[in-house]
Amino acid sequence: MLLSILQVVFSLGLADEHYLRTRTTGADAVRAAAGYWWPERAEGLCGVPADEIRRAAAILAAGSPAHGGHGTVILTGRGVEQGIRGTDTVTAAINLALALGLPGQPNSGYGPITGQGNGQGGREHGQKCDQLPGYRSIEDPAAREHVAGVWGVDPSALPGPGLPAVELLSAIGTDQGPRALLIHGSNPAVSAPDSQAVVERLRALELLVVCDFVPSETSQLAHVVLPVTQWAEEEGTVTSVEGRILRRRQAVDPPPGVRSELEILADLAGRLGSQVAFDTSADAVFDELARASAGGRADYSGLSHALLDEESAQFWPVPANGVSTPRLFAERFATTDGRARMVAVDAGNPTTGPDISLVTGRVLQHYQTGAQTRRVTVLDKAVPEPYVQVHPTLAQRLNIAEGDIVDVRSPRGTARARARLSVNIRPDTLFMPFHWGGSGCVNRVTEDVCDPVSGMPAFKLTDVTVTPALGQVC
Amino acid sequence: MARLVVAGHGMVAARFLQELSALGHDHDVEVFAAEDCEPYNRVLLTDLLMGTAGGRDLRLPGIEDPRIRVQRGTSVASLDRHNRRVRTSDGTTVGYDHLVLATGARARTVDLEGIDSHQPPTGVHVLRSIDDAAAIIAAASQARSAVVLGGGVLGLEVACGLARRTASVTVVHPTGVLMDRQLNAGACEALQTTLAAMGISCLLHTTAEKVLTRNGNLSGLVLSDGRRLDAELLVMSCGTVPETGVAQAAGLTCAPGVLIDADTLATEDPLIYAIGDCASPPEGSSGLVAQGWEQARRLARLLTGSPVAAPSRTPAPTDVVRVKGGLDVVSMGVNAAASTHSSQRRIQLLDASAGRFVEVVVDGDRIVGATAVGAGSTAADLTAAYTRAIAVPKDPAQMLIRPSDSAAGRTGSPTTMPESLTVCSCNGVSKGDLMRAWEAGDRSVAEVSARTRATTGCGGCSDVVAGIVEWLAAGDPDQTTSSGALEDDTQRKRDAHEMEMSRG
Ligand SMILES: Cc1cc2nc3c(=O)[nH]c(=O)nc-3n(C[C@H](O)[C@H](O)[C@H](O)COP(=O)(O)OP(=O)(O)OC[C@H]3O[C@@H](n4cnc5c(N)ncnc54)[C@H](O)[C@@H]3O)c2cc1C
Repeated sequence: MLLSILQVVFSLGLADEHYLRTRTTGADAVRAAAGYWWPERAEGLCGVPADEIRRAAAILAAGSPAHGGHGTVILTGRGVEQGIRGTDTVTAAINLALALGLPGQPNSGYGPITGQGNGQGGREHGQKCDQLPGYRSIEDPAAREHVAGVWGVDPSALPGPGLPAVELLSAIGTDQGPRALLIHGSNPAVSAPDSQAVVERLRALELLVVCDFVPSETSQLAHVVLPVTQWAEEEGTVTSVEGRILRRRQAVDPPPGVRSELEILADLAGRLGSQVAFDTSADAVFDELARASAGGRADYSGLSHALLDEESAQFWPVPANGVSTPRLFAERFATTDGRARMVAVDAGNPTTGPDISLVTGRVLQHYQTGAQTRRVTVLDKAVPEPYVQVHPTLAQRLNIAEGDIVDVRSPRGTARARARLSVNIRPDTLFMPFHWGGSGCVNRVTEDVCDPVSGMPAFKLTDVTVTPALGQVC
Repeated sequence: MARLVVAGHGMVAARFLQELSALGHDHDVEVFAAEDCEPYNRVLLTDLLMGTAGGRDLRLPGIEDPRIRVQRGTSVASLDRHNRRVRTSDGTTVGYDHLVLATGARARTVDLEGIDSHQPPTGVHVLRSIDDAAAIIAAASQARSAVVLGGGVLGLEVACGLARRTASVTVVHPTGVLMDRQLNAGACEALQTTLAAMGISCLLHTTAEKVLTRNGNLSGLVLSDGRRLDAELLVMSCGTVPETGVAQAAGLTCAPGVLIDADTLATEDPLIYAIGDCASPPEGSSGLVAQGWEQARRLARLLTGSPVAAPSRTPAPTDVVRVKGGLDVVSMGVNAAASTHSSQRRIQLLDASAGRFVEVVVDGDRIVGATAVGAGSTAADLTAAYTRAIAVPKDPAQMLIRPSDSAAGRTGSPTTMPESLTVCSCNGVSKGDLMRAWEAGDRSVAEVSARTRATTGCGGCSDVVAGIVEWLAAGDPDQTTSSGALEDDTQRKRDAHEMEMSRG
C-alpha cells in the first residue's frame, strides 16, 4: 500500500521534485520500483480500494510544505516493523516522506513511534546490542576510541556487538550461551515470541536476577529480585520521537530498601572488584553520557540537568556550544554527502493465504505485559482479561459466538481466551492483545522468526488455527 | 558461460531480467528490443491517456548487470532452431544455448471498408505502445467526436480517457453485453448507468462497417445497422493477437500463443521458452501482466537452479481483471460471464439504477470467482478474499455488501442490547453502567459521561451513548422531553472535552 501511495505521488506529480534533486540520492530507482504498484494492482493484494489509496496520497500531499500545506508527518507504529519484511516496510514509509519532501521541513517529517516511555532516549545511548552512546555503532573504530576515552579504558576493552534480543533469549542457559542474566524492567516470559520456550531457557539459567518495581512472570522465575525505583521515584530525562529532551523529576520518595538502578550497577561493580567509582546520581551520569555522545548523531554534550531545568525547548543534537536543533535535517542528512539515501524496496511476490493470520498488539488500558496496569483497578476492570477479536463472518464459520472461549494454535503453542466479535477486523485475521501471561499469553503462539536486517521478531502475522475450547479458561 | 538470448523487452522480459540478475546467474544475456526505448509499464498507458501519469512514471526498474546487454530498436527477425541461432533485423546472427520469447502481443485490427492498410486515414488508431498513446493524445486534442470500437476492458478504459479529452465519446460493441468476457447482462446494465453519467454513449449489437473520410482524414463511420456516426478519431480495441511470427516461422506450434509447458515454461523445443502475452500455457493466457510476471519469476528461478516455490505457499491467482480509468469494475475467477459447475453456487445482487452489481461464485467453502460493478470497497474485500483464498461465510450472501460498521450496526438498538455490552471500550463502560448513571440522577450525555467517563476517550461511542440516553429518557415516565439527549453533537463533545481537561 505504501508503494502504491508512492506510485500515485509520483504519477500525479505530487512529489517534491526539487527536494528529490537537491536533497536525496536514489530517487530514480525508488520511482521505478513504485511503478509496479499502481493502485488497482495494490488493491488486489492489500484489500485497500484503489480510490482510497489515491485519496491517501492526495491528503498527504496537500499537507506537505511543497504544496503550501501546514505540514505532513508520516509515522509508523511498531506493527509494521514486526514482520519479516519490517525494514522494507519502514523504508517504503521513509521513501514516501522523502518523495513528498517532508524531512527537515516545518511541522513535517517521518518518525517511528516507539513502544515504551523513553524507548527513543534509551536507544540513543547504547541500550541496543550494537550501539554506543550518541547513536554510534559499536563496530566503528573511531566511535569505540572516543567512548573508551571518556571512560578511560582501552578501546579493545569494549565488547563487540552482542546478540539481538530474540537470539540472546534462545541462547541463554545453553552450553554456548550465557549462564547468568540480569534483567532490568522487562518481562520476556510474556513479551518474547514463543514465550513458553523462553520460559524454559530462563529456567535453565544458573542465575537469573531481575530488577523491577512490580512483580512479573519473569521475576517469579528469578533467583534474586532487586526492587528498584519507579520513574516517579527517581531523577532523569525522557526523549520524545521528535528528539526533544525533557527533564523527569522525582515526585515521591521510594519505599525503604529500594535502590535505583544506578546504585545497583555501582554496587555490582564494587562486588565484581572494579576500582572505578561509578556515579549514582542521575545528573552526574547524564553528564557522562553527554560527554560520551559528543560528536555522535544524538549529541547531548551541550546538555545538563541544570540546563534542562530551565525548561527551554531542547532538541538533539545539542553539541558542546549549547545550540539545540529544533528541526533535524533542515540543511543536511547524516550521510557523507549530506543527502538522504533512498533505497528501493518491493513488496515481494503475492501468495495466497494462510487461512487465518494472528496479529498481536495493545489495548489502550494496558502497558506492555500488563505487569503494571493489571494492578490498577479501573484499568483491570475495563479490560480484565485477554481476548481474541474475530470478524463475525469467520466466527460464524468456526461456530464461535461472542464470549466463547477459544484456542488459538500454532506449531509453537496454544493461547486460550474469550472471543469478541467485531467488524473492525478482516475476516482472515485475528487480533489478540499481549498484556497477559498464563494460558492467555498470545506469545505462546508467536514464532521467533525475525526481520533479517533489524532482528525484530515477526509478531505480526502468525499462521494459526482457531477452535472453540473444550475446557475452562485458566 | 551459457548464452541466453531474449526476444522482446516489454513488461515481462524486463521483470524476468530483473529477477535473473537479482538471483545471480551465470549467463551471457543478449536482449533484443523492437521498441527503441527503455522498457515501460504498458498497463499505465491508460493513466497516460487519462492524464494521471506522465511518460517517465511508466519507466520500469532498470538493471545494471554487465552480463546483460540490450539492443534497443533491434528485433529478432528469424529463428534457426537447428543451428541454435537467431537473425536480427539489422542482419546479424547470434547463437544461443537458451532462447526466451517474450514478444508480447499486438492490437488486433479489423478490416473496414475505406481503410487502405498501406495508407490508413488520419484518425484511426490502436493502443498498445507508448507511441500509440502519444498519437491518440495528439489526435484527441483536435477531434470533437471519438469512437471506440470494442467495449472490452481496454476499450472502456480508452473511452474513459477520451471522455476527458473530446466532447463526445461513443463505444460501439458487437454484442449486447459490454466486457462480455467478464460480465453478464445485469452487470452490464449497472455499468451502463455509470458510463452514461460519465457522458459516454454505448451502441450495442452493432459494429463498424465502413469509415468515411474527408481529405484523407477520418470524418465518420457507417455501422452494420446502417446508422452513421460522426467520428474524427477512431480507436480500435478489438482484442490482442500474440506476437508469434518468428516462432511460427520456425515451426513452433501456436494456438494462439506459442504453446508452453506449465511447469517448465518450455516450448516444444526444450531450449526455447516463452513467457508473457506471446505464450499459451495449458490453462490459457489471461492477457494480464500478473500471469506473465509469475512466469518471469518462475523461469528466472528455473534457469538459475533456485527453488521455484516456497513450500506451503501457492502463488496468488493471476486472473483478477480490474478496470482502470475511474470505472469501478472488477472480475476474477469464475466471473459473471462464465458458466458454473454443478457444485458451484452463484449469488447475485443487482441494483442497476444505482450502477451496482455484485456476484460471488462459491465452491464448498471457497470463493472461486466474483464480479463487482460500482460496489466500492466490497470489490476490494472480494479481491482480497479471492487472492488470499479466504474461506467464505456460511451464508455467502453476506459477502455482497459490507457489514455496516456504523455504531448502530455494531450494537443494534438500545432495547435489544445486552446490559453487559461494552459501549465505551476506552473506559470499559457498559450499557448497564449508563443505566445505573441514569438511575443515579444523570439526565444528559454530559452528565452520564462525567460519571462514567463514557465518550471521553476516542469519542467513537458518542452516537451510541446519545442513543442510549435518548432511549432511557423515552422510557422514563418522569421525563417528558429528551432534550438532554438531543443536544447538539458539538456541545456534547465540547462538554466531554472540558471534563477531560478539568480532570487534569
Ligand atoms: C492500454 C493497456 C492497458 C492494460 N492494462 C492492463 C491492466 O490493467 N492489467 C493487466 O494485468 N494488464 C494490462 N494490460 C496488458 C499488459 O500490458 C500485458 O499483459 C503485458 O504488457 C504483457 O507483457 P509482455 O512482456 O508479454 O508483452 P509486451 O509488454 O507487449 O512486450 C513485448 C515487447 O516485445 C517487443 N517485440 C515484439 N516482437 C519482437 C521481436 N521479434 N523481437 C524483439 N522484440 C519484439 C514488442 O515491441 C514489445 O516491446 C494492458 C495493456 C494495454 C495496452
